[in-house]
Amino acid sequence: MPKLPKVRGESLGTILSVVLAFAVGGLMILLMGYDPVEAYVELFKGAFVGKFSIGTTLEKFSPILLTGIGYAVCVQTKYFNLGMEGCLYMGAVAAAGIGLIPGLPAVVHIPLGLLGGILAGTVWGAIPGALRVKYNVNEACSTIMFNYTATLLTSFMVFNVWREVTAVSRTPIIEKSAQFTKILKPSRASTAIFLLVFVVAVMVWLVYKTNFGFKLRATGHNMFFSNYVGFDAKKTVFLTVCISGAIGGLAGAMETMGVFYCVWDNFSMGTAFDGMLASLIAKNDIRKLPFTAFVLAALRAGAQGLERVTNVPKALVTTLVPMIIILISVDGIRDLLGSLFQKKAPQEAQEGVQG
Amino acid sequence: MTTLNLGDIFSYQLIHATLRSSAPIVMAVVAAIISKHANVFNLAIEGIMLFAALISITVSAATGSWVLALLAAVAAGMLISLLIGLAHLKLSANILILGFSINAIAQGGTRLMMQEFFGTVGSYAPKEMAPFPRLNIAALDGHPVLSSIFSGYSLMEILSFVCILLLWVVLYKTKTGLRLRSVGLNETAARTAGVNTYRVKLGAIVVSGIFAAMAGAHLSMGYTNMFAEGMTSGRGFMANAAMNFGGGNPLNALLGCLVFGLSESLGARLQSYGFPNQFVLMMPYIVTVVILTFSMAGQQRTQRKEKLRELKKHREDLSGAPR
Amino acid sequence: MIAMEDRTADRPEDTVVRMVGINKSFPYVQAVTNGFFELRKGEIHSLIGENGAGKSTLMKILYGLYQPDSGEIFIRGEKMDKYTTGRAIRQGVGMVHQEFMLVNELTVAENIILGSETTKALGFLDLAKARTMIRKYIDTYHLDVQPEKIVNNIAVGEMQRVEIIKALYRGAEILILDEPTAVLTPQETQNLFRVLRSMREDGKTIVFISHKLGEVMEISDRITVMRGGKYMTTVNKADTSPAQLSRLMVGRDVMLDTRRVPAKPGEKVLEVKDLFVLGRRALSTIKRISFDVRAGEILGIAGVEGNGQSELAEAIAGLLEVQEGSIQIDGTEVSNQSPRAVRDAGLAHVPEDRNQRGLCKEFTVYENLSAVRTDDRTLTKWYWRDEKKIARYGDGVIAKYDIRPAEGKALAGSFSGGNAQKIVVAREVEMNKKLLVVAQPTRGVDVGAIESIRGILNDVKSSGHAVLLISADLDEILALSDRICVLREGRISGEFDGNNVDIEKLGMLMTGGDEGAKAAESAG
Repeated sequence: MPKLPKVRGESLGTILSVVLAFAVGGLMILLMGYDPVEAYVELFKGAFVGKFSIGTTLEKFSPILLTGIGYAVCVQTKYFNLGMEGCLYMGAVAAAGIGLIPGLPAVVHIPLGLLGGILAGTVWGAIPGALRVKYNVNEACSTIMFNYTATLLTSFMVFNVWREVTAVSRTPIIEKSAQFTKILKPSRASTAIFLLVFVVAVMVWLVYKTNFGFKLRATGHNMFFSNYVGFDAKKTVFLTVCISGAIGGLAGAMETMGVFYCVWDNFSMGTAFDGMLASLIAKNDIRKLPFTAFVLAALRAGAQGLERVTNVPKALVTTLVPMIIILISVDGIRDLLGSLFQKKAPQEAQEGVQG
Repeated sequence: MTTLNLGDIFSYQLIHATLRSSAPIVMAVVAAIISKHANVFNLAIEGIMLFAALISITVSAATGSWVLALLAAVAAGMLISLLIGLAHLKLSANILILGFSINAIAQGGTRLMMQEFFGTVGSYAPKEMAPFPRLNIAALDGHPVLSSIFSGYSLMEILSFVCILLLWVVLYKTKTGLRLRSVGLNETAARTAGVNTYRVKLGAIVVSGIFAAMAGAHLSMGYTNMFAEGMTSGRGFMANAAMNFGGGNPLNALLGCLVFGLSESLGARLQSYGFPNQFVLMMPYIVTVVILTFSMAGQQRTQRKEKLRELKKHREDLSGAPR
Repeated sequence: MIAMEDRTADRPEDTVVRMVGINKSFPYVQAVTNGFFELRKGEIHSLIGENGAGKSTLMKILYGLYQPDSGEIFIRGEKMDKYTTGRAIRQGVGMVHQEFMLVNELTVAENIILGSETTKALGFLDLAKARTMIRKYIDTYHLDVQPEKIVNNIAVGEMQRVEIIKALYRGAEILILDEPTAVLTPQETQNLFRVLRSMREDGKTIVFISHKLGEVMEISDRITVMRGGKYMTTVNKADTSPAQLSRLMVGRDVMLDTRRVPAKPGEKVLEVKDLFVLGRRALSTIKRISFDVRAGEILGIAGVEGNGQSELAEAIAGLLEVQEGSIQIDGTEVSNQSPRAVRDAGLAHVPEDRNQRGLCKEFTVYENLSAVRTDDRTLTKWYWRDEKKIARYGDGVIAKYDIRPAEGKALAGSFSGGNAQKIVVAREVEMNKKLLVVAQPTRGVDVGAIESIRGILNDVKSSGHAVLLISADLDEILALSDRICVLREGRISGEFDGNNVDIEKLGMLMTGGDEGAKAAESAG
């Protein structure tokens, strides 16, 4: 019997989960003494109303989506790449450094900067990847260690190497020739956004349409099968990790060259983890990632707007967002809510046995 | 940069400093090990520690009692981990999403609480707080070396080392430990043997939360006397790393924690010699990776040796065996 | 048509278990229909039938693992409602499954007491008390185990004894053993029988599920036959013979049609010399074997599973490390090469575990079929996977091999035994490689698919390829092989001409009958 079609209760359950999540969020806002309706309205406006808002949403969308893709593609081979944050930082630093080279035409400078970011990210991701492939070192731990190291290295570059003494410690502003033009002013979004389309298209193609992608998915589904069929699991995993590092580095370079035009200490407040969350909610499916990443970016942008316009503290939103995420993504809740209005799906078949 | 005086760096005071630095991670590693043996990757240790740190210092400042503060922290830890356990076991929530979300909620939540309830940003250091008592062995007061090594520790520091040793005993010598290990090693076998795997797993998650809470309480009431944003600095993850290094064995994990503590203390000393502080702060993280790599490589080498030994045995058997 | 009847129903007062009218079905199969089983105290009762006859399922119902759709279970005359495993254990029913439920990293003693631990104060384990208790079992029933050893390091026979002690420790008076000798050497089997006899003397009742008639005739008091999920009959051992039992089990006097295609052996394709492969256990380690297979012939490697069959197939396929010796396919050395390199050298491989290795359940049939041709330019355009070409190729293969349902986009995981196996076989055979290695090709496969897979193997042989057939199914070996070798305890013995087999000698080599006398003396 071919596989049963997806039960409709799942979609209903998802919608109800979202509603429940926002209801709980609203309740918490109320309890803290603020007006939930006003809060949600401003949240929405902060994300979508006005050039600044849309621009901010897009600006945040870029790194979240990219790091999400980096994570998703690795997790499909059962490699838990928690190190996207580190790749992001290293890519940003590399781009910041290359961006300082004077006298280059934009046509050369921009690709060079991006390339530098990609290379830095690749190397930074490849090291824990190699350790895992060769020595079976648990990447969930090593990548996190690399994240902290990367953040500290960046801090070192900012304070000790390329320091420009201003109100906020940062590296010097990169040359004009290395900058992406701003769009949707006064937000920080830039033309770098258009790269996203390209990257997503390439990645979707890579994972679902190429032989490499096939091997990637096979290795993740069933290592024994891949081995037996002749795929080199180790090589596949390592290449995947490198690709994901490259994407992380690219995201970092785009942050430097498109958004900030410099690097400052701790410039990314857990963006890569948002990316990872976006991926987890999308069940690690690259095709669904743009949606979840966009929603997350909108939430972040909206939170900023919320804080600006009302006196609802941003910390409240940063606390609520993960709560909402839990409520949305927990399958059990979705199934529970979905089944409230739906006839129960056919009983799962007990395992048949030769007897 | 003044010249390095190794004697100054590696003085006997380093032992005290190392033990002090290791203690929070040791307590956290107890949480990590318990969780690991139930086959649950508890990422939320970091978040629970952070919550516990803030809650305990708050209660301590409000009541002036470190006992109540500890109890409050533990209660919070239990509650959070109970939620995690139920969500994961009953509602099939992805443990990674849960863990990261809890950590994120902790970051945001503690900042929020500081802003809303104390009106401060960044750190909170109430003068009215009562820290964990420091235990001084009066008899050793005369000896600088002995008193440095054995005296003057905060309650939690001593407790954490006691706990990890106790953990070893419980894991390998008691009924509870046996059941816990069996559930993690082969859940089906454990279930058919009559072990209530659900209860064991939930229990492990909750107990893990208790120890994570104690580790967090120590951070703000023993290691320092304040709460600072993000003060856990990845210690929860370091605990997981130390746990991996130990392969689940508390004694090996303890070694890993000591290495962390050592690298942290050494780093602090090197800093006074003008090493840029970022590199100093990096040391524990880099050391972790290096240690992990060596321990895995070592495991591979032992496996090789095992194979060669078995091979030799077979060859010997063959040369004497009939066809 | 043999009437369903219990030919031994003359001592009803000793009845300790009675199952009547049991029906049990699973999604694709009616496992048990109107099942009947009656057990008397103090007997060794064998439950026999072919694969799929329903014997395992019926006993799992008796152990409370499955709930019957209908029917009644009586234990010591009392009707059982809401019958669970916990209840079964309390009623004194214990079961030793085919797959052991042991925690490999723990010791024997820890495994035995898990769940009902012997403790001192404060929950500390009282291992001394456990050891004393285990000693009691060792002494009473010859159940030799070493309490301090870690399960990973003990032999299969000892693992089984641990499982038996586990059941006894929980108060089992009725012990069900599901195909216990499937993984034992003949020596270990004799030891097991010694254990069972001493248990019977002690008043315990034993159910022995098996399809090995020789053993059944040796150990049983009474024998129940099942076929196709239905109860056939129950006889006293003394009143029956292997021939009669076989007829009852299989339903026909005629053996499976052995119309073997004559071989036209050509060049040597596979040459194995002095091969040494470390196996999962000491028993299955391949200990310096040599053999070869020529083009156009089928070499059958007979033997009970667990004697190195898996290791041999995996070593050839590059999936297991070879310590010593050489494997050559068409002159190319392939030992310790990557699986990819071995395939390129000319190997196609139908693995013994189609669920774990042979198929990727999350992929479609199309994807599974084309997996081995991933880097083959015929199915790709630059780096694109040409979905249309893959589908066309897949449809062709599905039609040729009659894979049902003929739905290429269906997930492989939704196919059952016979058809799932056909997907694997189809994929490998279509590669048209010089050497085809098949391991347990018809295990768990329905009769229709069995016939067609055997036909495929014959076709492969006829087209001039070499086939290495590794199978525990003696009928299959006899039906297909041109030459036969026996693999036992990692060593190869005997070479038989397929046309002219001395079956008795073959059987002795397989079961170690020639060493039977020696083995019975030495300890487990």
